Amino acid sequence: MSLISDGVANKMPVLNRPNQGLWTGFLRSAERFPGHSAVVVDGKKLSYGQLRELACRIAATIQSRTDDSTPLTAVFAYRSPVAFAGVLGSLLAGHGYVPLNRTFPIERTQVMLERSECQSIIADLRSLPQLDQLLSSVRKPLVIVVPDLEDSSRLRKQWPMHVFIGSRDLVPMNLWREPSVDPDAIAYLLFTSGSTGIPKGVMVAHRNVTAFLEYMVDRYHVTETDRLSQMFDMTFDLSVFDMFVAWEAGACVCCPSQKTLIKPAAFVEEMGLTIWFSVPSTAMFMKQLGMLKPGRFPALRWSLFCGEPLPVSSATAWLEAAPNTAVENLYGPTELTIACALYRWDPLHSPAESERGIFPIGYPYPGVDVLVVDEALKELEPGQEGELLMNGPQMSLGYWKDPDKTAAAFVIPPGRSEIFYRTGDVVRRPVGNAPLTHLGRIDFQVKILGHRVELGEIEAVVRDASGLDGVVAIGWPATASGYGGVEVFLEGSTRDVGVLRKSVGSRLPDYMVPRRFHFFDRLPRNVNGKFDRTAMQDLLKEGL
Amino acid sequence: MSEYNSKELRDFLRSYLSENLAAQGRDFPDDFGDTCDLLLAGLIDSLGLMELMTAIQEHCGREIDFDALDPEQMTIVGPLCDFVSDQMKTFQSDEKLLV
Repeated sequence: MSLISDGVANKMPVLNRPNQGLWTGFLRSAERFPGHSAVVVDGKKLSYGQLRELACRIAATIQSRTDDSTPLTAVFAYRSPVAFAGVLGSLLAGHGYVPLNRTFPIERTQVMLERSECQSIIADLRSLPQLDQLLSSVRKPLVIVVPDLEDSSRLRKQWPMHVFIGSRDLVPMNLWREPSVDPDAIAYLLFTSGSTGIPKGVMVAHRNVTAFLEYMVDRYHVTETDRLSQMFDMTFDLSVFDMFVAWEAGACVCCPSQKTLIKPAAFVEEMGLTIWFSVPSTAMFMKQLGMLKPGRFPALRWSLFCGEPLPVSSATAWLEAAPNTAVENLYGPTELTIACALYRWDPLHSPAESERGIFPIGYPYPGVDVLVVDEALKELEPGQEGELLMNGPQMSLGYWKDPDKTAAAFVIPPGRSEIFYRTGDVVRRPVGNAPLTHLGRIDFQVKILGHRVELGEIEAVVRDASGLDGVVAIGWPATASGYGGVEVFLEGSTRDVGVLRKSVGSRLPDYMVPRRFHFFDRLPRNVNGKFDRTAMQDLLKEGL
Repeated sequence: MSEYNSKELRDFLRSYLSENLAAQGRDFPDDFGDTCDLLLAGLIDSLGLMELMTAIQEHCGREIDFDALDPEQMTIVGPLCDFVSDQMKTFQSDEKLLV
């Protein structure tokens, strides 16, 4: 059963902003501050007026060339003006956007494009070599808009099935028509790691993300004078915070190039950033590289971290470098729209509230309901440990064209009438006003350098590539915030590891490719006959 | 303290990268050399490069001032190795002065 057909929308709490699309705040800011910088990217500044014009022309072009049968447009652009205009252009055409990333293996991008059934793609000039590779597997005609390409004749000749639109053929802005707002329509479709080897597309509706934005802009008092970092790639949903929190308030998004990402401290200074948002790993490496010199970032008012557990030691070093900042740890799966709980560091109480040197998950956002449950989804007593379930206005629509997975993750617990999302995270049910603390995962999902990874997906790909059924992936080695990588155990006769690695490497992003393959005639099993992961971890500890 | 020079660092970089790439099932590039841009060639991503820089620091046993290096250059093998070995030479001569 799909949640959409199930009418989950009707069960949601009353909306605060029922008539807002994800694009509404941007248009409002573009009216108020047409000359202000909306984004700095690739050495260029785009004012709100300029960005609106480019986005509206892209939107008008898509409106004139596609029908309404598919509500999604892919954005195949990376840290460029077209990437930002493309996201807005999709939304202003009345479509949800599907971010694609040219730094991902092309086979993974092909799966995402095919599964999303997009009819149109917005691409930037520098993604064209990968676009050629992508199109080699496409069997349906597409409308492909490349706003910074002057002459598209080469592409037209090479790919006669598709329609190519370059800068000269973009429709004028005055032909653009603002779409009507459907709060339940998809604002973006974001693919996350799926345990069966196929990425899952999370459908986030406009009402989910506008509820999130309203709280964030208010909490952080974001104004038109703020300058926000964009450390996250658009294929990571945390990037939605950077863009749309800034644009709601008329602030500027500062997007480093792929190279500048390596010198984040200099970037904070040069851009005059006031709001920082990254994975904790970035702060950890900055600390190790001596970039967090005391007092270095006086202009930062907020420093936010999300995506993996935040070690107290990284945050403490950050606070020394940014003496005028407040540090907050945000928590939330993509399915609950970016983040839905947070914790502010306070030197007086936080050390006692942190467990194992890791920040607490903290407190849910307004309107978010929390349940801590046992295996039968029954609520536990305060102080007991169990799985964290959440719902509220940010709970997404479920997985794109995958009713089974949606039904498994979005459930009605016994004795309840509302749907909750199963986060898979183990927490302790707070006693009194204590924050939620993260204690681990109930399934085999791990964090690798901030990326959420289903070990089952790696296992499925390795099974397919090796032809062996007994495959177990283990996160290894453990780091403060998750794991440094993955190792794989296989049951059966040894395969050519070079060939195996190549095949797996062509289908998974680098951080998911196993570092080593261990072959056994028979893998260790526990009393229930299941693969004994602990025994395999012990083998690694012993230096296998 | 042992002598650090550009060649030694290039060897370290080569073995670090080949180990990393092999772990991802990828071949070490034939055209690896001083002009190779690790990031643009897709041999490593940005967090991976920060990890590599911490590995270089560990290898050299000293904190290196990476802030002083131009980000456009620091992902290219030749300039990166020359920069680090120059920094090490400065450290070594400072140490001699202190003695």
